[in-house]
Amino acid sequence: MQNSALYIHVPFCAHKCIYCDFYSIITPGKENDFIAVLEQEIQYYSVLYGKSHHFDTIFFGGGTPSLLTPAQIERILTSLHSAFSISSQPEITLESNPGTLSNEKLRGFRAAGVNRLSIGIQSFQERDLEFLTRIHSAEQAGTAVLEATRAGFDNINIDLIFNLPGQTSDLWLENLETAVNLPVNHISAYSLILEHGTILNKLVLDGKVTMQDTDYDADLYEITIEYLARHGYTQYEVSNFCKPGFECKHNNHYWHYDDYLSFGPSAHSFVHNTRWHNYTALSQYHAAILRVGHAQAGSEKITPAMAAEEYIMLALRSNGLDTHIFSQKFGAELLNTNKALFSQLLHEGFISKQGDILRLTPKGYAVCDEILERLQ
Amino acid sequence: MNRIRNFCIIAHIDHGKSTIADRLLERTGTVSSRELVSQMLDDMDLERERGITIKSHAIQMKYKASDGEEYTLNLIDTPGHVDFSYEVSRSLAACEGALLIVDASQGVEAQTISNLYLAIGAGLEIIPVLNKIDLPSAEVDRIKHQVIDLLGCKDEDILLASAKSGIGIDEILEEVVKRIPPPSGDPDKPVQALIFDSVFDSYRGAIAYIRIVNGSLKEKQKVRFFAHDKEYDAEELGVLGMKRIRTGELACGDVGYIIANIKDVHDTKVGDTITLKKDGAPEALPGYQEVKPMVYSGLFPTNTEDYENLRDALDKFRLNDSALVYQPETSAALGFGFRCGFLGLLHMEIVQERLYREFNQSIITTLPNVEYIVYKRNGTQMLIDNPAEMPGVGDLERMEEPYVKAQIVTPSEYVGNIMKLATDKRGVYRNTTYIDPTRADLAYEFPLSEIIFDFYDKLKSTTRGYASFDYELIGYKESDLVRLDILLNGETVDALSMIVHRSKSYDWGRKVCEKLKELIPKQLFEISIQAAIGSKVISKTVVKAMRKNVLAKCYGGDISRKRKLLEKQKEGKRRMKQVGNVEIPQEAFLAVLQIDD
Repeated sequence: MQNSALYIHVPFCAHKCIYCDFYSIITPGKENDFIAVLEQEIQYYSVLYGKSHHFDTIFFGGGTPSLLTPAQIERILTSLHSAFSISSQPEITLESNPGTLSNEKLRGFRAAGVNRLSIGIQSFQERDLEFLTRIHSAEQAGTAVLEATRAGFDNINIDLIFNLPGQTSDLWLENLETAVNLPVNHISAYSLILEHGTILNKLVLDGKVTMQDTDYDADLYEITIEYLARHGYTQYEVSNFCKPGFECKHNNHYWHYDDYLSFGPSAHSFVHNTRWHNYTALSQYHAAILRVGHAQAGSEKITPAMAAEEYIMLALRSNGLDTHIFSQKFGAELLNTNKALFSQLLHEGFISKQGDILRLTPKGYAVCDEILERLQ
Repeated sequence: MNRIRNFCIIAHIDHGKSTIADRLLERTGTVSSRELVSQMLDDMDLERERGITIKSHAIQMKYKASDGEEYTLNLIDTPGHVDFSYEVSRSLAACEGALLIVDASQGVEAQTISNLYLAIGAGLEIIPVLNKIDLPSAEVDRIKHQVIDLLGCKDEDILLASAKSGIGIDEILEEVVKRIPPPSGDPDKPVQALIFDSVFDSYRGAIAYIRIVNGSLKEKQKVRFFAHDKEYDAEELGVLGMKRIRTGELACGDVGYIIANIKDVHDTKVGDTITLKKDGAPEALPGYQEVKPMVYSGLFPTNTEDYENLRDALDKFRLNDSALVYQPETSAALGFGFRCGFLGLLHMEIVQERLYREFNQSIITTLPNVEYIVYKRNGTQMLIDNPAEMPGVGDLERMEEPYVKAQIVTPSEYVGNIMKLATDKRGVYRNTTYIDPTRADLAYEFPLSEIIFDFYDKLKSTTRGYASFDYELIGYKESDLVRLDILLNGETVDALSMIVHRSKSYDWGRKVCEKLKELIPKQLFEISIQAAIGSKVISKTVVKAMRKNVLAKCYGGDISRKRKLLEKQKEGKRRMKQVGNVEIPQEAFLAVLQIDD
């Protein structure tokens, strides 16, 4: 049986950052109610997929899951274990904000079974953190990693954002340098995206913030790939880098087109070629679960043609398209249609070929979407 | 016959022609005010949106005059834009009189004059009408003098009206009856009916709008069309109200329609004469000048597989627009398409817009150009309407390009600006006459190629909108012309080539390169843009390679969103044209039109 992924969306934040478009609310005190409803949702899907699927990763995303207590995390994990078939040593990731992590809490999460910690550092520089309106300080950013290590985490990811307004390449390199000198074996380095509906977007529209241009963004991206490679981090997706053996198994499930089952408001699931999403607002989510046991707000049947397109998209964005496997799944037609394009891209150094695997080069990753748009 | 009046309305664009027509229809009860929409006769959406008349329209009105008699008034509405002046001239031939509408603020304009000359040439009785007299800016006395100078009429001959407020409408109708002579044909002579327009109806076939000049027609008679010598049964005859009104016969002097199961609108050739098979007239009425396209451009389907659809669309389109001519063209860059001839840029725009709206055709239009005469060294001579056909320097002896005589009417203070503009456009000054001390009528000769693009816009902006302009073709003159080629990544894109005067070629080359640089989006590879004459590169620039285009995040919920985004982007790419490995957006093929010099 193919392994699948479980995801829990924890919709609480201490504060809404200006660039973030994930769903979260900042009213404290609703956690236990939420967990009670979440457990009902887990129960609902347990009946449907408790036997058909085997899961080997669990991911707490948000929001700020680290706002929950270790006991609350443990409670959710217990529910999942009783509802689904889960491997004996699953990868269990928790997203966290350095401002919410205490020594005690870190030990608690570790003891509850969390074995991979993802820390939303974003930057080690005060100026950037203020701009992003993060709740943590530069100092907390560094100490969070060290304390997590002391608490027993040996699989740590940090998120970093580049191409912030006014961020020079030297300042960004300083951030990378700090990162690689800490005991982190996974780095997600994102270029700042302007999402609709964020405060940042409004600031840009109002002319109060100026984004840097895409050529500069490209420079920083190149620097990132090159610097991290030099320090032993392999790029295995557009924005993700890791030491050998530390790929995020959970994210690889998304990118390798495996099934994933998700719980909580705004969560998206993908099972048996159907993708569905839950209500975004906690109140609607809550009401729906109480009424019908699930909170699906909409679903989409992925046709073979759509699946083939998504498969290629995800494979090229991550660690490469295995043309042999692709042909077995979807037939060779799409590959044949795009043969000329692939050989041109190969020739121009946007992709490399190893055996059956077509993989983007660093130069290719930078223009991944442009390449995907050219596929017929 | 004594109680028939056939007349048309001529005016400069925007002087209120269609509004006057609306009022006449309302006043005569042809339409009730409830049914009345503005620009009643302009039944194409495009006409109402743009406030212009594209096709002629004919309508019959009944009017009880002050002498107690009821008269049949046939009104033929005509287009005002210079591109469609051929429509005006053919409408005139079906009339005995014309209302000359002059805006009481704007005064006499270029097309007032040119249309007037057409009407006088056709021997029509002219009734001058000052319109919009109730506007605060109206200068009735001054404009009256202009009209008197122009027509040599008397002060009291000029009617004063405001179509908007309904002033003077009764007087217009009365004067039409009094001053315009009834049709002069002979009912006892063999039938001669003039086709002044034709339309295509998908159920009834081609419908000819006719004026019975001599004799009379009845349904079921066998009729003969002179031009192609074809015979048909007159299935249905009638007059033109708001809809067709079947009358079964048309008498001498009448204006009406004939339906005769004619499959192809080109068999109802405008200007042709219809007679009876039996006891027919020995000869046709004098026809019109053949309509000749002024500008040519390539129309290509955005997706090459749509070629057949485009052909079908053009075939259907042609049924209602006999001015459009086209023939297949093959471009190395754009594939199969058609070389089309248009009356002018407005006509081209309208065709393109209607193909898109009415036939759902997405097309790429290449840069319009005029038709040149090429003399080759081997002594042969050829007409070319496509830059791709221009022979190389080695074979070329000389070239000629079409010239027009242009008439520009302007307030005198802008004469200096116009002279400067004319020099930029290679104009040759001929003479000036003053309509009154404040208004000049300038005569120039221009190469047609210089005025088809943006001359009118430039003229308007350099004169704050006050100058007006009209032109007519006068023939060909020798000219030092070169073909400017555009190369993308070293490959000539034939659809971007243009023929320009040598003195302007360097400037154009530079500007076209810059414009293309703006219009061609960054792609995976650097794109070099060059302008060349023969093998000599005269200008170049570069579109740098795209360096980054990737969304940073793609997790569970982003996958559907990302796929949809991708599909949308792909859709956008499909609208671009792939030439070699370069993707060119549609508008780039008309880049030159957007150049501001």
